[in-house]
Amino acid sequence: MTTLAVHGLTKAFGGVVAVRDATVELREGAVNGLIGPNGSGKTTLFNLVTGMIRPDAGRVTIGGRDVTGWAPHRIAGAGLGRTFQLCRVFGRLTVLENMLVAVRRTRLRELAGGLGNRADLDRARGWLARVGLEHLETAEARDLSYGQQKLLELAAVLMADPALVLLDEPAGGVNPALIERIAALVRDLNAEGRTFLVVEHNMDLVMGLCDHVVVFDRGSPIAAGTPAEVQADGRVLEAYLGV
Amino acid sequence: MSGTLLAQGLVLGILTGGLYALLASGLTLYFGVMKVVMVAHPAFLFLAAYATYALHTATGIDPLLTTVVTVPTFFALGVAVQRLLVARLAPESLATMSVLLTFALALLIEGGLGVVATGSYRSVTVDYASQALRLGSVALPADRLIAFGVAAVTLGGLFVVLRLTRFGRALRATISHATAARLVGIDTDRVTAIGFGIGLATAALGGAVLSLISPFFPAAHWAWIGRLMAVIVVGGLGSVQGAAVAALLLGVLEALLQVTWGATPAALLFYAFLFATLLVRPQGLFGGRLAQRF
Amino acid sequence: MAVSPSASSGTAAPGRLAGRAAFVAGGLLLAAYPWAAPNAYLRYAGVLVVLYAALSTAWNLVGGFTGYISLGHAAFFGLGAYATGILVVRTGLPHALALVLAVAGVTAFAAAVGVAAVRVRGSSFVIVSIALVSMTNLVAQNARWLTGGSSGLRVPPLVEGLSRTANHVVFFYLFLALLGLVLATWWAVDRSRFGAGLKAIREDEDKAESLGVPTTAYKVVAYAASAAFVAAAGGLYGIWFGSLDPIFVFSIVIGANMVLMALLGGMRFLLGPLLGAFLVAPASEYFLLAYGESQLHIVLSGALLAVVVLFLPDGIIPALRATWRRRGPRAASIQERSAAELAAAREEVPA
Repeated sequence: MTTLAVHGLTKAFGGVVAVRDATVELREGAVNGLIGPNGSGKTTLFNLVTGMIRPDAGRVTIGGRDVTGWAPHRIAGAGLGRTFQLCRVFGRLTVLENMLVAVRRTRLRELAGGLGNRADLDRARGWLARVGLEHLETAEARDLSYGQQKLLELAAVLMADPALVLLDEPAGGVNPALIERIAALVRDLNAEGRTFLVVEHNMDLVMGLCDHVVVFDRGSPIAAGTPAEVQADGRVLEAYLGV
Repeated sequence: MSGTLLAQGLVLGILTGGLYALLASGLTLYFGVMKVVMVAHPAFLFLAAYATYALHTATGIDPLLTTVVTVPTFFALGVAVQRLLVARLAPESLATMSVLLTFALALLIEGGLGVVATGSYRSVTVDYASQALRLGSVALPADRLIAFGVAAVTLGGLFVVLRLTRFGRALRATISHATAARLVGIDTDRVTAIGFGIGLATAALGGAVLSLISPFFPAAHWAWIGRLMAVIVVGGLGSVQGAAVAALLLGVLEALLQVTWGATPAALLFYAFLFATLLVRPQGLFGGRLAQRF
Repeated sequence: MAVSPSASSGTAAPGRLAGRAAFVAGGLLLAAYPWAAPNAYLRYAGVLVVLYAALSTAWNLVGGFTGYISLGHAAFFGLGAYATGILVVRTGLPHALALVLAVAGVTAFAAAVGVAAVRVRGSSFVIVSIALVSMTNLVAQNARWLTGGSSGLRVPPLVEGLSRTANHVVFFYLFLALLGLVLATWWAVDRSRFGAGLKAIREDEDKAESLGVPTTAYKVVAYAASAAFVAAAGGLYGIWFGSLDPIFVFSIVIGANMVLMALLGGMRFLLGPLLGAFLVAPASEYFLLAYGESQLHIVLSGALLAVVVLFLPDGIIPALRATWRRRGPRAASIQERSAAELAAAREEVPA
């Protein structure tokens, strides 16, 4: 049983093929890395597997179940959570409201009642405490610093209790101390059994954090392996340096 | 339905479609330079028709010659609308707020015309416009021919400006990627304002033509909003050629429905196409931007 | 057990109590209005104001929560009015039953339209909404066999032989009850998880979807609920006014006024649309009195809308709050507050 896998995935925009016949299988229980030069199709792949865009061809499976063409909220319901490249939180919602948007059970009584039952609120506060935002729960998200927003985004994704978390450039635009904090959090969450897929440009972070790395170039995977194997691969160097 | 009726409908549809294409070109321009859907465009069209009527009745000059005055005035008005009003809106809510703002302008124009000109019908009559050319059994009314001619000449002129002039290049660059255009030294603010000016100038020409071909009253612009929105959405938001093709297509279908079923189904046709396009093919029949997102 | 977040903090309790007291006092003052109004005209104007407050608050169920701006809600107003009127006239059903059936029918229609309409965002949605009211107007005018077209539809009064003044008083309370119901609905949604989902759609729809919110279903439910209340207001209006004309009920200006009032008061606030209605509706009635039946009221609506969009896009309520904050004691910033709250929160959160 695998976690996320794509088979022969293809997507073109106009004449530009962003993802070409890509077949990738993630390691369950690992921190998977996805690297590649700019424009190599990493973000498109993210958008394809999360249902934000539909593939022209190919299949996406989560835990063996075919989820190709599903709406994003159903894919989220299948246990996949994601953060966005430029961090996205709900600016004029409070921190606590941001947390409770992601709660998955949607029985009518729970929708109509208060923001959440005691257990959900406790869980939300627990996650906020874990990322260090528990003192800000009544603040509006737009008043938070960029780093705090990144932490809030991650915490909100975790509220849905996803088995697989996709992080789009978690280190983008944040200071080194916070990068280290996010990395430590990812390691802990991984140790608790969550699988990760991290798209990242910061090579130090990828090499330090990931167990398994997939390299993309021109819309297709060109190499995969441990960070050390990938670094030693000539094709990867070629893709990055364009020689 | 007889063959003659069909041919007559076809001809009238093509001639009216020309006017739709001219008016849709203005909407395409606003959308192109600022992603603004200008719902006041038809209201300005009627403002121009009233201006034509007023100038014609006051001075007796030919309605088409009044455009010497109305076109520059409307150009200036367009620049002012962009600079003083639309440009003030916050970029993050521009899409909806600009529709509300131009909607407010439409109400102001409609109400203003209602107060000044009262709600009754007006029309401009000149001798030559009531003539008709005959092709076999099909009549080509002179007013519709004039309308089509003005539209064709204007659209041709616009095409030449867009394709062959320095300003046209700057405009196209601004439309396709404003940030990049700014980086290569194009004054995109100026280009955007002029784009609005040209857009309203086409409404001035359209208004002069409209005053010839049909009676008009202030509240009639609402019907035109539906028509023109259908044209630009079916054609693909931001696509000039798409809008022109959609204008002719919908013009012909409207005329055919009008001679067979009557005015109401013909009017509903535009809404049907608008809804169907948004549901089935939001990028429009001929490519262009996804209408869903704007 | 459902718990709202602010209830657990405790500090806001005195403020909330004052707020509730003010709310009750305001409601009592409103309820006393028909007895305080010196003449029939002012009673009539009072009914109009409360009607508009109900319409605008109902509009805000979709506009305020999701940020989808509908300029065409007059379509549901007109459909509610005509469906109620036609049922009473043609089938002889009692008014109340006709109203309930009409509201159910319009709600189903709105849900069907909503499935298509909420697929498009931003300005495209606004255009679709304008198209909707233009279409319904066109159909109502031309279906003369059903609606009587422009010669109008006469709706028999609720109680035969009631004086005009008494009729105004009765409908003042009916519209007030509707307003109360809409406000209660908005309030409940605002503090529910459904409401959090709707507001998430307003802030960032794709993000909400990625977090598992079934956005289409949420939007359609909000749209249909909003239409239901607007249709109820339309049905009541038809019975109250006694005659219907497509041009006046399927009116783009009525739809624009709902938006204007909500925007003016503040779309993100429970009482925003009500505040807007209390300002705009009397102003436009005064205009009508002072300048007669002219097109000036359209100019007024247009000018006000332009001013609000340009200078007060968030509405009066947040603007007042900002002024209040600047004058009053400076509110503690997040950083200043954090140390104390951190300590307090630590005790609550299980490690």
